[in-house]
Amino acid sequence: MEAGDIVAMKEWSKNSLLGIEDLSSDEILFLLDEAETIKAQKTTDGSIIESLRGKRIINLFMEPSTRTRVAFEIAAKSLGADVISIAGEASSLTKGETLKDTAMNVQALGADAIVLRHSSPGSPLFLSQIVNVPIINAGDGAHEHPSQALLDIYTMREKLGNLKGKRITILGDIRFSRVARSNLWGLLKLGAVVTLAGPSTLVPKEFEKLGARVTHDPNEALRGADAVMLLRIQHERQQASHFPSLSEYANVFGLGRSTFDQMKKNAIILHPGPLNRGVEIESELADSNRAVILQQVSNGIAVRMAILQLCINCGENQR
Amino acid sequence: MKEKALCNFDLVGGRVVDPYSGMDRVKDLFVRDGIIYSSIPEGKPAEQTFNIKDHIILPGLLDLRVHNRVPGDAQSENIQSLTKAAAKGGFSSILAMPNTTPHSDNPGTIRYIQDRIKQASKIKVHLTGCLTIGSKGIALAPLGSLKEAGVVAVTDCPHSVGDNQIFTNALKYAKMFGLKIIEYPQDPSLSKDGQAHESPLSLKMGLTGNPRMAEELSVQRAITVSRHLEVPIHISSLTSLESVNLVKEAKRLGVKISTDVSAHHLLLTEEAISEYKTQAKTTPPLREEIDRLALIEGLNDGTIDSCNSSHEPFAEHLKQVEFDLAPGGVIGLETTLMTVIEALGDNDPFPKIAEKMSTNPHKILGLDPPSLKAGNLADFVVIDPVKKWIYNTESGMSLSKNSPLDGHKFIGKPILTVSGGKIAWCEDSSLLD
Repeated sequence: MEAGDIVAMKEWSKNSLLGIEDLSSDEILFLLDEAETIKAQKTTDGSIIESLRGKRIINLFMEPSTRTRVAFEIAAKSLGADVISIAGEASSLTKGETLKDTAMNVQALGADAIVLRHSSPGSPLFLSQIVNVPIINAGDGAHEHPSQALLDIYTMREKLGNLKGKRITILGDIRFSRVARSNLWGLLKLGAVVTLAGPSTLVPKEFEKLGARVTHDPNEALRGADAVMLLRIQHERQQASHFPSLSEYANVFGLGRSTFDQMKKNAIILHPGPLNRGVEIESELADSNRAVILQQVSNGIAVRMAILQLCINCGENQR
Repeated sequence: MKEKALCNFDLVGGRVVDPYSGMDRVKDLFVRDGIIYSSIPEGKPAEQTFNIKDHIILPGLLDLRVHNRVPGDAQSENIQSLTKAAAKGGFSSILAMPNTTPHSDNPGTIRYIQDRIKQASKIKVHLTGCLTIGSKGIALAPLGSLKEAGVVAVTDCPHSVGDNQIFTNALKYAKMFGLKIIEYPQDPSLSKDGQAHESPLSLKMGLTGNPRMAEELSVQRAITVSRHLEVPIHISSLTSLESVNLVKEAKRLGVKISTDVSAHHLLLTEEAISEYKTQAKTTPPLREEIDRLALIEGLNDGTIDSCNSSHEPFAEHLKQVEFDLAPGGVIGLETTLMTVIEALGDNDPFPKIAEKMSTNPHKILGLDPPSLKAGNLADFVVIDPVKKWIYNTESGMSLSKNSPLDGHKFIGKPILTVSGGKIAWCEDSSLLD
């Protein structure tokens, strides 16, 4: 743990992880420390932790996902749990079954936890009110993506140390991004200064009322920053007239060497993936040693192991 | 429907509040064969006497925005449950919106609904027809035939015509038949994806916003079109501060527009949805405290003419889904009167209630407002102004339970609703069939 991070918390007390917004800074640090312990164990002796042996985890992914789903599967298996993944297009939901009924059936099948990815904001909260098994939010619409934010923050802390006072810029499509929101809450709670940047159509000024700095000038956003997180730009947004074209976006907001050089000397580049080379970032920069994109992915395993272990074991104690 | 048509009764000791007829005093009313008398008519004994000391009698209330589900979705609401809910809430008349399935855009559907009303309703139900076919905003509905079938107004509520040419043509055409036009002000290109009021809260919740601008542009359009075509327009369900200002200024200039507000917008703000509560997902969306206060002020200073329930019933399973998949709309017939009383926060809100919920809505539709003067058909509501009670949707008359006010403590309750000379609702259920 970095100096300055004082965790008063002794025990984890949440059986679900619905978002970062309802976590305290202590809870965030507790989770990150747990992930650090797991990562150290895995790298030093190579042994598998069996803390969830015999537990059944259902990955309910109602929206396409590769990275997050696979990371949750590996995390669960590394803890000895059985994992069953259900994809939206292969489930009864395509036959008109509601999420409520699907979830009750999954509970009746003996799930010890449900990892939910869904396009509707608030759906994990909705599910947690229906079933009494731990719910892990793996991304709900534009609302939250807590495991992603935790792995981002874990990686930033690993590279930059204590995040208090650090200047973090999130650049791209903020309006429709759950990753931006979860990171914003987590980083603010840990005392970082967060700047949100990108086209005015995708970065509403109202975020200032939620504690962020907002700018539409990428140079201003990046000057002196310790880290930049780039968010994927989606073609659909272009069609909805949020910006004129991908090449215009790359030209005005893409991260190139000259803008990157305005950041602090040891600044890092994060991206939750999937990456659009040549749009959000110059290809060369994405492969440089300042980019920690693949380390984010690896850290995602330890962070998700920590989430599953803490929430499921806590849920067990509470039941 | 068989009914025990009790229409011979005495009301003793109540305060008659009827500003339209210039009456506000304690006065006994005697109803014989559905007609009001000021003294007991000879040879006609009452079947029932209600001692209503300290109670209020208001002329019949009319709700200008109620969503009927027949035909199409009788599990959410049928005519009997709808009109019983209205009567229990103190309304002797309602105006039904045309978003039935199929839409009320043809005389056949109108006649079917009229037939169902005849069989199952104890109150007056006025009908609207669609302004455009299927309320899609593309082709004009047969307004002349709809008028002939009996509609009193035309509207695409809860939608608005996006194309300005179609909108102005529809209004010109409707004017020819003297049909009242009701505009539900939402610019569809700005509001179509909106799940909640556009604000820091909806931004935080990851919900697509419905901006105030969507309503204000539409309000401004109605004002401009009304002025140019000299056609009166009723703008339904205002929600934003700036809309109130636009209407105020337009009225000052003499533009022939009228407006109303949904009762729950006077009491609640967007905070009601903060935990993704689909029961508080309304159309239009609940907004912020500054809007709520502006609406109350608009009601008090005469900018807003009336209050509606925007009663939109949805069967329980339709609302028990993810927030963005849940339909917008809440029920309100059984709470609107008390909600308005509470929101006005006045020591004596009743003269204003009579104006906003009886006189004005009737005038807006071009109907004669009910009067409590002798010789008129009995059409009124008796309110116990101090009765404290808790609203519980489970004991309501509506088949649907989607109210954000479930569990709310109210003061004041309608105990007797008389519509068209007959008792439609009485707290003493032995007097009903």
